[in-house]
Amino acid sequence: MSRTEIADEARRSPVSGDDPRLAALESQLKEAIVEIAELRARDALKTQFLANISHDLRTPLTAVITHAEILRDGILGDLSPRQMESVRGIISGGRQLLNQVGEILTYARGAANQLALVPTRFAIREVLEQVSGINEPLIKKKHLALSIEVVGDVPPLTADREKITHIIGNLLGNAIDFTPNGGRVWLRAERYAQRPDDTLCVEVGDTGVGIAPEHHDLIFREFAQVDATPSRPHHGTGLGLTIARKLVELHGGRIWVESELGRGSRFFFTVPLEQAAD
Amino acid sequence: MPDQAHILVVEDSDIVASAMRVLVESAGHRVTTAASIADALGAARSDPADVVLLDLTLPDGDGLVLIEPLRAAGCRMFIALTGHDDQATRDRCLAAGCADVLVKPVPARELIARVAGWAEMS
Repeated sequence: MSRTEIADEARRSPVSGDDPRLAALESQLKEAIVEIAELRARDALKTQFLANISHDLRTPLTAVITHAEILRDGILGDLSPRQMESVRGIISGGRQLLNQVGEILTYARGAANQLALVPTRFAIREVLEQVSGINEPLIKKKHLALSIEVVGDVPPLTADREKITHIIGNLLGNAIDFTPNGGRVWLRAERYAQRPDDTLCVEVGDTGVGIAPEHHDLIFREFAQVDATPSRPHHGTGLGLTIARKLVELHGGRIWVESELGRGSRFFFTVPLEQAAD
Repeated sequence: MPDQAHILVVEDSDIVASAMRVLVESAGHRVTTAASIADALGAARSDPADVVLLDLTLPDGDGLVLIEPLRAAGCRMFIALTGHDDQATRDRCLAAGCADVLVKPVPARELIARVAGWAEMS
């Protein structure tokens, strides 16, 4: 009898203390527990491998990028315009790869619970402006309108500034990628004075392609992209939202999306205004 | 202060070290490279550096343990170069006595400009 068959039968007629089926169930349960432990151990090994390999990939990439920059900057002599174009291609490809390797490393550290919060006190507006500044070239290129709004009196928050920047950066990056030229993207922060905790809610919205409601959970899962075909407009690691969720949860917050196909997306996350001491 | 400073690059990857050498030499300074803690100790004892560019992950340990013995050997300033762009790493380097912490890959032009500044300060 298979495990499911035993379980089904047990449901039909409850097992009593001296029932011979009980011994069978117990042994199946023990096997299952051992199997789960083995799978967990193997999963942890794989995560650690991912963290190690991403770390090791950074060194050769650093060499590629730095040597190419030495050529670009004319330190070893001037390049012809066509040589310069090739060298710029190496640098740009190298930097893209480095970002993706960095995302995989952050994901792997998150999965292995190796990410720690380093809280400082800062104004959310500074982070919103910083993230929009970093993305300005892309926003201009796609002729998007970006607005930043901090609603009402939001006090400084105590959180890990780099990780909050990372979350908003990933959300805004997606908003830009999935919004056609000429659309709107926005960043908005508001205080939720709810009990028992004082919470900040950040929204990253866009007028882009939107996400069907049946995919709202899927997109936060590891390695998931709603459209996995090579022609999809987005070529990231598929980890951006998984990482955002991990970093939000690390702060004790929540992340979710409100969206329909063709009607844009609004991503929200909350973080407590103060981080409880460990 | 001498126009030419002596820079010790402690970096276990020879392809990264060779790029650093080109950059530092193009800024007009003299470079010694070391690929491990043991190498760095040997190099600094025979020829102490004005500025040490320190990789954190070395084959024989954490690069930060070099600060104390290298300072005793006469090296003056320590700059950490790390692959980890996070506050915890920066805090650890500064607490250990680094004057600055840079995330690899440091843009080539920025590194040249910074080396010039450190050489002047050291």
